[in-house]
Amino acid sequence: MFDSHLTRRNFMKTSASVAATLAASQMGPFARPAHAARDKELNILCWEGYNSAQVLDPFRSSKSANVKAESLTNDPTMINRLRAGEINVWDLINVNNPWARKVMMPEKLIKPLDRAKFEPYFEKMLPQFKPPYKWAMDDSGKELLGMAQRFGPYSFVVNTDKISRKTAEDQGWDLFNDPKLAGRFGILESDDWNVFGICAIAGFDPYKPHSPEEVAKFEETAKRVLKNKKVVGDIATMNQALISGEIDCHLTGGSYSVSPARADGHLNLRAITPNKGPFAGGKGGIAWIEITSVVNNPQGSPLAETFLEYVQDPVVAHTVAFAEGTFNPVAQMGNPECFKLFSKEQLDAIQWDSLDEEMARSVEYDIVPDYDKLLDIWNAAKKS
Amino acid sequence: MSGDSSFLAQPGRRAAIPIMVLLLLGFVAPLLAVVGFSFMPPRTFGLWHEPSLENYERIFSDNTYVSLLWSLGLASLTVVLLALICYPVAYGLVRVFGRWSTALTLLFTIPLIVSENIRLYGWVLFFIKGGVLPGTLKALFGVEMGDFLFTPAAVLFGMVYVYLPFMLFPMTLGIAMVPNQMREAARDLGASRWQVFREVELPLSTPGLMIGSLLTFVLAVGAIAEAKVLGGQRIIPITHDIEIAFTYAQNWPLGAALAVLLMLVVSVLVLTVLKRFDLDQILGKR
Amino acid sequence: MSKPILQLKNVRKAFGTLAAVDDVNLSIGEGEFFTIVGPSGSGKTTLIRMLAGMEKPTSGDILLHDKRINDTPANERPTCMVFQSLALFPHRTVGQNIEFALKIRNVDPAVREKRARELMQQLHLPADYYSKNVTLCSGGERQRVALARALAFDPQILFFDEPLSAIDYKLRKTLEKELKDIHRETGKTFVYITHSLEEAMVMSDRIGVMRRGKLIQVGSPNEIYSTPRSRFVSEFMGDVNVIPVEANGAGSVRSQSLGASFKVLANSVEAKAQCLVVRPEFLRFLDTPADAQNSLRGILYNEYALGSRIQYQVRVGEKVFLVEKLRQQPFKGKLDDEVLIGWDPENAILVADE
Ligand SMILES: Nc1ncnc2c1ncn2[C@@H]1O[C@H](COP(=O)(O)OP(=O)(O)OP(=O)(O)O)[C@@H](O)[C@H]1O
Ligand SMILES: [Mg+2]
Repeated sequence: MFDSHLTRRNFMKTSASVAATLAASQMGPFARPAHAARDKELNILCWEGYNSAQVLDPFRSSKSANVKAESLTNDPTMINRLRAGEINVWDLINVNNPWARKVMMPEKLIKPLDRAKFEPYFEKMLPQFKPPYKWAMDDSGKELLGMAQRFGPYSFVVNTDKISRKTAEDQGWDLFNDPKLAGRFGILESDDWNVFGICAIAGFDPYKPHSPEEVAKFEETAKRVLKNKKVVGDIATMNQALISGEIDCHLTGGSYSVSPARADGHLNLRAITPNKGPFAGGKGGIAWIEITSVVNNPQGSPLAETFLEYVQDPVVAHTVAFAEGTFNPVAQMGNPECFKLFSKEQLDAIQWDSLDEEMARSVEYDIVPDYDKLLDIWNAAKKS
Repeated sequence: MSGDSSFLAQPGRRAAIPIMVLLLLGFVAPLLAVVGFSFMPPRTFGLWHEPSLENYERIFSDNTYVSLLWSLGLASLTVVLLALICYPVAYGLVRVFGRWSTALTLLFTIPLIVSENIRLYGWVLFFIKGGVLPGTLKALFGVEMGDFLFTPAAVLFGMVYVYLPFMLFPMTLGIAMVPNQMREAARDLGASRWQVFREVELPLSTPGLMIGSLLTFVLAVGAIAEAKVLGGQRIIPITHDIEIAFTYAQNWPLGAALAVLLMLVVSVLVLTVLKRFDLDQILGKR
Repeated sequence: MSKPILQLKNVRKAFGTLAAVDDVNLSIGEGEFFTIVGPSGSGKTTLIRMLAGMEKPTSGDILLHDKRINDTPANERPTCMVFQSLALFPHRTVGQNIEFALKIRNVDPAVREKRARELMQQLHLPADYYSKNVTLCSGGERQRVALARALAFDPQILFFDEPLSAIDYKLRKTLEKELKDIHRETGKTFVYITHSLEEAMVMSDRIGVMRRGKLIQVGSPNEIYSTPRSRFVSEFMGDVNVIPVEANGAGSVRSQSLGASFKVLANSVEAKAQCLVVRPEFLRFLDTPADAQNSLRGILYNEYALGSRIQYQVRVGEKVFLVEKLRQQPFKGKLDDEVLIGWDPENAILVADE
């Protein structure tokens, strides 16, 4: 989900999509015959995983549908593409928890689901998803905005051969303030999460408005952490660097990022959720939950809801959990039918043993009020 | 070009219209969109806001120049290194394989079918601690390799590696196109092998060198994966800035302004060079 | 012939199984203007490239001033070549091209320029061409630049490989004369290759004729012209009437195809296959057979104006004879008339049929 294989080609694609968006938004009504039948067509904008053939192919063949999925590596990009006119293009959008309720619904970018039809699925999920599940509901608590599936803690990752799990959990984010760690840690490139991490290292909660002193502290911390880092890179680079010993730990990461390495047998690499930290209620870490919503597309495909039901199926949910690239717990593991499909190795890969306590020690991903400002500071700090 | 009363008077130009329209739609239109975006207020997503210069002001007031300098500096160094590496290789190829040498250099482009990222990850595995190179050095000679991966030197290495075919091919072509009789004539006039090289072969193969250099420079200025993968983002080239603006920062207008700036700088540089070295004159065309 | 400067001893050059130059023996004198002629592919270029040092003989020896130079590289030989393509350096100006050899020898730039300007004047190149790009020069001007560049080298021998072949007739004539003048003025040895007999005749002291890699006859233009040793040489030297004949007793030969016998100079008849060669200008129109010792009856078939002369084609049986007369004394006969042509023995030669 936070992997970023961003290359020049991707950059070209992004630039092209700017142009395409432009065209789409300007020609909107003319872009497509007004009422083209879309009942055999489904477009999904999602994080990596839902676009895999393992997940999509059975759906394609059973519905003989033409399913297109594009994976992106951060939430704001996806939402801004809807804002810029692609609301006419996509049927489903899969982003992290706060966006549906706090942004997309108020902006009418998505539309509610039929509660009677979908709420029963939440009953079968893990206990924390019992309906009404906060992140799936609108502010009023009346409307169901989307379905939950993948989730996980996401703070940092250590090589427990070098730094013990206990030390890491006890020291928490302060680990990265330790001058002795200079040159021995990496940063997983994922700028939004990096901002959360720097706030935590600086000692304050990211998800609240920040005083000028805190902003100054953020800048100082960002520069220091960037100066001391060994490498910034994607998931593959982080795992490789951990395995080879280039680094001992890396900022930003969790079961999502380290699970491929753990599945490969490197169980000494471990996602860490600090025991305590600067988050609300003194919690130590951050967790994410994906919510998949139906886009408020004027010519939305009827297959959107069908697909949401399809991924609730125990077998499909298991496939989603272990789709290509990264492996994650899914809410559907609350259903024994689904849980029994996970092997011991798979449970080890996603750190099932400590998942509950880690989730309990984590706050949930949220929107940073002054994100733009902090992000600009962070990006400028990369160059100093 | 000059005295023609109508631009479309020549049949050739009329025949070119479909191509021009295609170019206009496929190339100029997106370009205009980018230019247009660069004048929009920061963090907006449409083209119909009041135009502003804010993005450009910001570029010139913060440390964007650092990325630009890295990009230009690394690209220039890449070109210089490639010229130094490829010339002898191309020269040797032409000497040994004659007119087959150009076809042979095409073999060097075969790796291009493998994605650049995958090739670069290959090098990460080569240079990483305990990887192929450090592992071998340690096992065979007991020496510890100093830090190379995740340094600017590694970025440069990656760029030289990735863009090598783009220098080698035009260069080999350039050297292969030097008529053999030029060498013979120079030799007959008393020139030693070295003098033949310096006085005849080198100047006559400069078009290849120039084309290769321009090509690799333009490509290398647009490089991003090398700094990300091999450099571990120790340095941020301008292209990475642009990418950040279009993705995490969601500041399309800023990204567009950066892209416009990069295009301008590169165009000015390339045009200046092209003007200084008139290719036609070097080639001896009228 | 003056003292030899260049000698070739059994020189042979093979490309694979093909002997491009085959067992050539030759001696070229100092200051001589020696021309090699021969049809395309006869090995002229290969021979001259060996002399210039761009190709090594497969066997045999090349001697310069009696010293073997087979293995001396081109840049160490006191010789210089003007290529058919001229091989001027396109990235250099006229001046820089001419000065090239001097620059190679590290001659002072001022001295270089002075010498280049002298040569330009000698070769009728305008002075302001000094800094002109060679590629902007006309064909004739480039020719002169190429020659100047070679002369600046100050070689003992200058080689030319068909330098004028791509130039129009009038300019070629002018340049031929200039070349001859330069030869006289410089006194250097010139070895010249051409396809054109005319060119060879005008300029050379001696001519060598090549055929299939072999040097088949060497002699002064006059010798080659008037006493060709073979049918090939005589035919190569221009339009001639050639009649295959066989010996027919002393002072007489017989042509099977024409069914006629001809009187010839007694001492030239040999047993092997021979050809009777009669130059067109030595054939005459006769009033009666008694007007010449040999005569043939034919049909006036065609006539061509050749500048100062007129050529008539006369058909005798299957064979066409060429008769040439000066323009001032044209033959009065009409086309398709029956005519009588003839010659005397001293105006014909017998050559080997090869
Ligand atoms: N480098 C070479 N390799 C193989 N064969 C060659 C080479 N150079 C010349 N030959 C052959 O040798 C023969 C003589 O060639 P050469 O060029 O000497 O002829 P030439 O008399 O100069 O002909 P032209 O009048 O057409 O220039 C030709 O059959 C040619 O194909
Ligand atoms: Mg030749």
